Amino acid sequence: MKAPGSTRARLVRAVIALICIVPAAGQGNKTTGAPYPTTYKPLPRADTLITNATILDGRGNRLENACILLRDGKIAAIGADIKASANAVVIDGRSRWVTPGLVDVHSHLGDFAAPFTPADLRTSDVNETTDPNTAQVWALHSINVQDPQFARVRSGGVTTLQILPGSTNLFGGRGVVVKNIPATTVQEMEFPDALPSLKMACGENPKSNYGEKGRSPASRMGNVAGYREALIKAQEYRRKWDQYNRKHEADAEPPARDLKLETLAAVLHGEILVHIHCYRADDMAVMLDLADEFGFKIAAFHHAVEAYKIAGLLGERGVCAAVWPDWWGYKMEAYDGNRANAADLDAAGACVMLHSDTPVDAERFPLDAAIAMGAGRRAGLNISEERAIQWLTWNPAKALGLADRIGSLETGKNADVVVWSGDPFSVYSKTDLVFIDGALVYDRHDPKHQPLSDFELGQPASEVQP
Amino acid sequence: MKSTVHALALLALGFIASLSNAQTIAVIHAKAYVVPGLPAMEDATVLIKDGRIASIGPGIDLPANVRVIDAHGKIVTPGLMSSGTELGLVESGSEDTTDHAVTTGSLGPAFDVQYALNPNSTLIPLARADGLTRAITFPSSTAIPPFSGLGAVLRLSEAEDILDRSQAAMFATIGGFSTSRAGGSRSAQWLLLREVLDEAQRFATIAKDERATLSERNYSLNRVNLLALVPVIQGKIPLALGVHRESDIRQAINLARDFKLKIVICGGDEAWRVAPALAGQKIPVVLNPFDDTPSTFDQIGARLDNAAILQRAGVKISFSVPGVHLSHNAGSVIREVAGVAVANGLTWDQALRALTVNASETWGIDDHYGTLEPGKDADLVIWDGDPLEPINAPEMVLIRGKLVSLRTRQSELQERYSPKQKDNPWPPQYRLPHE
Repeated sequence: MKAPGSTRARLVRAVIALICIVPAAGQGNKTTGAPYPTTYKPLPRADTLITNATILDGRGNRLENACILLRDGKIAAIGADIKASANAVVIDGRSRWVTPGLVDVHSHLGDFAAPFTPADLRTSDVNETTDPNTAQVWALHSINVQDPQFARVRSGGVTTLQILPGSTNLFGGRGVVVKNIPATTVQEMEFPDALPSLKMACGENPKSNYGEKGRSPASRMGNVAGYREALIKAQEYRRKWDQYNRKHEADAEPPARDLKLETLAAVLHGEILVHIHCYRADDMAVMLDLADEFGFKIAAFHHAVEAYKIAGLLGERGVCAAVWPDWWGYKMEAYDGNRANAADLDAAGACVMLHSDTPVDAERFPLDAAIAMGAGRRAGLNISEERAIQWLTWNPAKALGLADRIGSLETGKNADVVVWSGDPFSVYSKTDLVFIDGALVYDRHDPKHQPLSDFELGQPASEVQP
Repeated sequence: MKSTVHALALLALGFIASLSNAQTIAVIHAKAYVVPGLPAMEDATVLIKDGRIASIGPGIDLPANVRVIDAHGKIVTPGLMSSGTELGLVESGSEDTTDHAVTTGSLGPAFDVQYALNPNSTLIPLARADGLTRAITFPSSTAIPPFSGLGAVLRLSEAEDILDRSQAAMFATIGGFSTSRAGGSRSAQWLLLREVLDEAQRFATIAKDERATLSERNYSLNRVNLLALVPVIQGKIPLALGVHRESDIRQAINLARDFKLKIVICGGDEAWRVAPALAGQKIPVVLNPFDDTPSTFDQIGARLDNAAILQRAGVKISFSVPGVHLSHNAGSVIREVAGVAVANGLTWDQALRALTVNASETWGIDDHYGTLEPGKDADLVIWDGDPLEPINAPEMVLIRGKLVSLRTRQSELQERYSPKQKDNPWPPQYRLPHE
């Protein structure tokens, strides 16, 4: 929807805004001095030319017998008859398919790390279950980089993940975008210059968690009152800091910092993208009005099982829906599942993406798309492969504000590329090669490019096949 | 869409004919997997009479008054079977719609799910529309661990009676997070299980008329629970053990040997490490081919080629997928995991066999279901493509010789809110199904 350039400009404005405001909203950006900055460096890489492949470019195009050149971590060229330099690695793409690296906007990898233990049932690292408003917590600070699940979803072609806090709270805390590279510290994975996000939750989870403890929220109306009360405080907090910043007096006493309000105030200024766990269509419509009341924009509704019921409204408002193809029925607000949800939304002109929530789905993302495509086709909505791949690439990149860098195979963009053994929407196809910023991070045929987490060393899973 | 309408039209016809209960149907030009595991029969005719396969072959003469369904060369398989669901026992997650567990009371092994089955559950038409026609439905826990109780086999027909076989297996869970219910150790779980099986063995030797007056003081379980274990100890029904870790699978093999039990391993993420022993003891494994992650310490050895390794060793495998899809997408997920197993080394023919013959043999309904051989119940699916591809779906489903509707609550929701309705000025609630 937005031209990539304008996203970049918006980001630069946001960065400037961060510098002006003492309580920094951003994270992972060295230039702003924001805390917990990224230390990401691309892995060693070679220029690579993939030839004669079927390419789905993430912008709705399908190129047959096409080539793509990765140079210095960027996509240098795409099309026919591309010449590589003498030192480039050449990969024969015949009968293979090439797509952008897949982008998962809803992951809990590292903050809900495997193996799960009974301790995770009592206190996991995904939900700070102590208060309905925990806007002060950051998922970044929970991530266990040795979670073996990172490797599984990498071998499924997922190159970018937004890792979110859970949905127990009205305001669950900040999410973080990471590059899916093996790392020893989370800072090495942080996506440079990505906006942070705020995870919010509607409906059953917050009200049941707190209502059963005799606290507010104990109802959906309590949920909404909870959002409003917190955002009113954030407005007031914002005013105090704006006043202070206007004074420019050396001896002026700065207002006290409040981590919770700092996050919410940044939301009101558009410096943090808002991602909301929301199942029901009526809940989503109320949240759209909440956003209007306080003047912020919702990037995407997640777990939007009923999004198909308001496809037109979501399209008009430019709010994306992140959905599964087929999860339904495990609780009342998920009862109205419809496998054609993604196809319906797409056909209605809304921005739709698939998301995982679990590594099982993220490891086989294109198969989730196949389920939704199939249901759409049986409902008379013909979704092509080049269209469906956008549910996993371009659309989530837009929702993360990163469409200027990832989500499509266009000249100048990051060389996040997946080579599949065949049609990625077939259950029999495999992920052959995965590149992040031009570096080969996974190769199905080369154990040297199949990194193993520390946890799995010396364990039965790493044994060779009998 | 078109195929749904087509199927409905045929259904309407079929309904009238079925009143006489003697409808004869011929499916012609089928690429028929008569006995899954073997190559398909090309251009086959399947003749169905009185709900059963009457004959199948390349050149069968059609009787008069037969209803002909042209498969146009498409793949025709037996209806599929899941080796683990809670179908008929769950609707939403809401506790008033879930009947698969008891947390208090005196029922342990004797907890039997057959009396809770709900044929009007909306999950059943969805499973049917995905090509599933049979499923085991199993209990998940009781107040007497490690026992979960007695499971049943369902036929997912449109009839009011969906029970195919009651008390098809006794279920129990060992290891993982379940150990806390046995004081904190799986060793206690195995000991309790062995103790109770010992008791059941003694109990089984007592003449039936003496059992009623037996003093329960000599037993840790009450009479009703002991009675439920008699067919297990006599080897008439299997003990299905939910285990993943290699050590537990080896214990299960020992248990089978010591008590001469029929055992089924459910889960079995590390079963590949024990494959020859499982094959030697003829112990079937119900597994989830998605599993490749050390999700718990019992599943450290989980790997994608588990199914292929087991099958090559001669172990009878079939599938069940725990989690969000267990019952709510029981039909689609079982096909997808079969495809994933094929992508990781299982042959396509063996995957289809796992979805039909193997499941039927594991749960004891192979006398009437599992192949398209004459005499078997006519559960049959005509597919729009390769059934293991997630993008594909059935075009027609017959269960016990009756064409079933492929409409589901989901398809009705889809039609109500379809983008095609965007110019309809009336609220969606006025858009009624079957218009």
